[in-house]
Amino acid sequence: MMRLALAAAALCLPSVARAAEPDAQAVEFFENKIRPVLVEHCYKCHSEDAAKAGKLKAGLKLDTKAHTLKGGDTGPAVVAGKPADSLLLKSLKYEGELQMPPKGKLPDAVVKDFEKWIAAGAVDPRGGEIAKPVGIDIEKGKKFWSFVPPKEPALPTAPNAHTPIDKFVAAKWAEKGLVPVSAADKLTLARRAAFDLTGLPPAPELVEAYLKDTAPDAFNKVVDQLLASPQYGEKWARHWLDVARYAEDQAHTFGVKPKTQAWRYRDWVIAALNADMPYDRFVKLQLAGDLVSDAPSDPFTRYAGLGFIGLGAEYYKNTAAAQAIAEELDDRVDTVTRGFLGLTVSCARCHDHKFDPIPTKDYYSLAGIYMGTNFSDAPLCAPSELKAFNDAQAALKSAEATMKKVQDGQKAKTGGFVARFAAPHLVRAMTADIAERKKAMPPAPAVAHTVSGNGSGMKVYLRGNPATKGEDAPKGFLQVLPSPAKPGSGFGRFELAEAIASKDNPLTARVIVNRVWAWHFGRGLVNTPSNFGALGDKPSHPELLDWLAVNFVKNGWSLKWLHRQIMNTATYQLESKPNAGNDAIDAANVYLWRGTRKRLQVEDWRDSLLAVSGTLSTQVGGPTFDLRDASATRRTVYAKVSRHELNGLLRLFDFPDANVTADKRTITTVPQQQLFALNSDFMVNQAKAFAARAEKLGANTEERVRAAYRLAFGRAPERAELELATKFLALPTSADDKLTRWQQFAQVLLASNELLYVD
Amino acid sequence: MLPNVGLSRRDLLNRTGTGLGAIGLAALLAERTSAAPKPGANPLAPKVAHFTPKAKHVIHLFMNGGPSQVDTFDPKPELTKNHGKQAGALGKSTERKTGPLYKSPFAFKKCGKSGIEVSEIFPEVGSCIDDICVIRSMHTNIPNHEPGLLLMTCGNTQAIRPSMGSWLTYGLGTENQNLPGFVVLCPGKPVVGPALWSNSFLPGVFQGCHIQNLDPKKVIEHIRNQNVTATTQREQLDLLNQLNGLHKDKRGGDDQLDARIQSLEIAYRMQTEAQEAFDVTREPVKVRDAYGKGYFADACLAARRLVERGVRMVQVFYGSGQPWDDHGDIEKGHRNKAKDSDKAVAALLRDLKAKGLLEETLVLWGGEFGRTPTSEGANGRDHNNHGFSVWLAGGGVKGGMTYGATDEFGFAAAEKKVHIHDLHATILHLMGLDHEKLTYRYSGRDFRLTDVHGTVVKDILA
Repeated sequence: MMRLALAAAALCLPSVARAAEPDAQAVEFFENKIRPVLVEHCYKCHSEDAAKAGKLKAGLKLDTKAHTLKGGDTGPAVVAGKPADSLLLKSLKYEGELQMPPKGKLPDAVVKDFEKWIAAGAVDPRGGEIAKPVGIDIEKGKKFWSFVPPKEPALPTAPNAHTPIDKFVAAKWAEKGLVPVSAADKLTLARRAAFDLTGLPPAPELVEAYLKDTAPDAFNKVVDQLLASPQYGEKWARHWLDVARYAEDQAHTFGVKPKTQAWRYRDWVIAALNADMPYDRFVKLQLAGDLVSDAPSDPFTRYAGLGFIGLGAEYYKNTAAAQAIAEELDDRVDTVTRGFLGLTVSCARCHDHKFDPIPTKDYYSLAGIYMGTNFSDAPLCAPSELKAFNDAQAALKSAEATMKKVQDGQKAKTGGFVARFAAPHLVRAMTADIAERKKAMPPAPAVAHTVSGNGSGMKVYLRGNPATKGEDAPKGFLQVLPSPAKPGSGFGRFELAEAIASKDNPLTARVIVNRVWAWHFGRGLVNTPSNFGALGDKPSHPELLDWLAVNFVKNGWSLKWLHRQIMNTATYQLESKPNAGNDAIDAANVYLWRGTRKRLQVEDWRDSLLAVSGTLSTQVGGPTFDLRDASATRRTVYAKVSRHELNGLLRLFDFPDANVTADKRTITTVPQQQLFALNSDFMVNQAKAFAARAEKLGANTEERVRAAYRLAFGRAPERAELELATKFLALPTSADDKLTRWQQFAQVLLASNELLYVD
Repeated sequence: MLPNVGLSRRDLLNRTGTGLGAIGLAALLAERTSAAPKPGANPLAPKVAHFTPKAKHVIHLFMNGGPSQVDTFDPKPELTKNHGKQAGALGKSTERKTGPLYKSPFAFKKCGKSGIEVSEIFPEVGSCIDDICVIRSMHTNIPNHEPGLLLMTCGNTQAIRPSMGSWLTYGLGTENQNLPGFVVLCPGKPVVGPALWSNSFLPGVFQGCHIQNLDPKKVIEHIRNQNVTATTQREQLDLLNQLNGLHKDKRGGDDQLDARIQSLEIAYRMQTEAQEAFDVTREPVKVRDAYGKGYFADACLAARRLVERGVRMVQVFYGSGQPWDDHGDIEKGHRNKAKDSDKAVAALLRDLKAKGLLEETLVLWGGEFGRTPTSEGANGRDHNNHGFSVWLAGGGVKGGMTYGATDEFGFAAAEKKVHIHDLHATILHLMGLDHEKLTYRYSGRDFRLTDVHGTVVKDILA
């Protein structure tokens, strides 16, 4: 009965709707049939209240007439009088992609009510104005500290400080009431410098020479020597590889073409750092080595750096390909912007950046540079070598195809009498020929896995959804930063590289000097090395950061210059002991009143164990090895890094997830790490080798213990240590032990804190 | 024995991990302020939940491959009636081309006091139905294993987010520091593999500990010393402790040095405790018989032993690859797998209940998606993301109820639809966590397990 009455009321509506003013009946219909439904099923996600609670979906508000007509991201929700054009009705009908409410389709009668309401002119008595959207003020944004170009500040007056860095640091000590601790002793310094620059303990000869050298620049000489060693590049490449989220595979396994020569990018970084390639060049070659005008003559230097993007994430694209491509683009935007610029541009993927002057359009301007680019392999060998390989491959393929044809013919019993009987002989001959060709096949030529092409540009994806496209976002750079090239179709990877690797870019130099600082001191002047935006940390020493950035560029973007500036200071050379007075003011040592005790990164720790036991391989570069091989002796930087399944040792010791760029490593101490030290085959192998090495160096227990201490820690044992060692070595042995007491002792030294932490 | 051991158990719990980013929350704060995070805090120490939790542990019985809803927990008489008809004729369709409507080869039986109908292939689980809440209106985004598995475990169809177990241990820590907080049991690897229990951008300590082999001697990497006797190892460790003590004293003390000294001691104990925890042969014969034989049965029993010892989350994959993926012969395939697992699952529920653990342990059973009510080939079923069933038991969930429904044939969730994000929100809620507040600041923004989605399914809360 009730239903009938209402239907009758609804039938009256068309005539009502034609009136200029909504009459009472139409309003009543809205109030009875439409508004309650909106309130119950829609307002939770589509209203001013939802917006305030941060729960607004698709930019659509249905709680005012104006908003309902204006609609959300995908256009008007209701077109009065046109049910067929009204998205709201379409989604209620559950016909297209949009199906609302998400919890389930409303009863047919309700959907019909909406249809009638819209057909009758969508009478809606509700008021409420649409607030003007608040855009991002780019000019205002440029005033934030990190977007203001660095200027060389005057050096503070600090009578006892002798280098620019020391002067800036000393000025902060004075300001904060901190009293620096003493300088570290020479042995500590030698170890600190060696681990910092090479990731290895110092060679005993280096320590000896340094201890004897009384010249004022004795430490500078140590630094120079370490910077000149190939181990410097191995150590510092690993820092950069964290930022570059370097890995040789993908997190997922379906349909991924393996990149078997990924390691060439790692070798490129090592070579670039060892050669002290200017940082601006280092940036350009990684982003657009194939496009730079003054390209290096050898293909390795030119192309292998492109692995920065070329080895990036590839996602599963069998289904929802557009979404997967969007994720791949995000990997590139995120790695490029956080890595080089310290900006979290990815935050602007779905909406304007909430804190930094980065509109969503800028995100898609950058993403468009990579939209449609390809992953491709660039040959690194001589053209003749490549041709020989390709020809041999083609000949092999053709031979295989011919044989298949013959075999198929045999199976199908076609080809006539002679062919059928001749075939077996033919197949035998061809099989031999194919085997011969395979045997004679030249090795696969060296290639670099690169990115190529220049991107097609794209439209803004509203709320990050590839299905809902908004305005054009011409390819270009972030509006808040200067760019030598204008946005548009001509803006590609080369223009991007130029905009980043520019002395006019206020971020690029600041970000890298801060990273290098953080890798030396364990914390950056900006303690969020990949976020120089509003939510990042403010610099502890802003003038020092600017002094470094400006002079870094002046000195040819030289990283080795930067290391010297940092290390040849009183600040770097402070001891790492606590001090109650300073602790009360600055326990975290933000103001650098003491040195920082650091746990070795897992690579350095493993490499040190190999070095101490005398088994470390000095081979530089080349294909990766598997860390699960407990007898492997190459440096850890050469171990396979997997996104799919990170090696257990690496994972256990806080190696970053290579699916994303990493600005610093977390440091955790968990028992599973200690199980490795206590029980792993690798550790036992090193203990045996170390024991054998030290054993030869002494005629009696004391001499051997002394030798072991010298090898492991570069120092003589103290009396208490000698006593403990002697006592342990004299313990009765058990027949069930597979290690001698001396080997057990060697393992203890290798597992000690002294070998894991550097003062 | 140990130099400088002046630490209480509480201190120990709090100090056995160390470091800066180690504490997720501190890492978050560190990015906002320059205040120093407290070194030496243990990221896995138990933490206070957002509100009083109903459950303390989660056991996820993952039927990877995707069990068919209409053959397990979602009876469809209309499907039987319309057997052989084309989907199109009934206004229905499937993602890929499939055959006609295909009735379940199994009979459904009313079970328990609640009378909920359960497929005949699960007689034992059926007998526990009064402790179970079946959600019949699940839906997910993509009908393929890889994205389906990732969405179920990590809340995203790509391998770019931390897993639920990682979020739970990040948010709540774990109660037993001698065992991993998040354990994944699977012989071999499920499709996708380690990304399913990845910590992603959360610190590495929150990654799931994948255990393939349930042999107690092999459960955790390097758990056993094969070179010296326990006595000798103790002597070695004593020497190590003394040398580390001298080293630390000379440096005027340091939390991180302390933390490692303590951690070595815990590792030593872990060797015996972990082996004991995983050793199902220590259970009475009666209990072992109740669970039955095979990897899955042992894994279920191990799961109980682990939650009993304070492990936060145990994820048991039914098998390597995608075993429930019966494209070919649904009757044979599902019957065999049900036969292999029914007894163990029921035994787990009964065992947890008998030990008083079911109240605080949330058990989740289900796959990454469902299957089509139409046939694939002669008698198989294809993937279906639009509608499927999972069930929950214990841990603050109402028993003996069904929630939501698919359409009359079982193609798609139709009433009270529950997306994976909603399921995740509900699980976090039961664990005392607000899914909108459990966040981690990374790359400039706060991430959540449920991204910007998820609604707690309040109707199923006890």
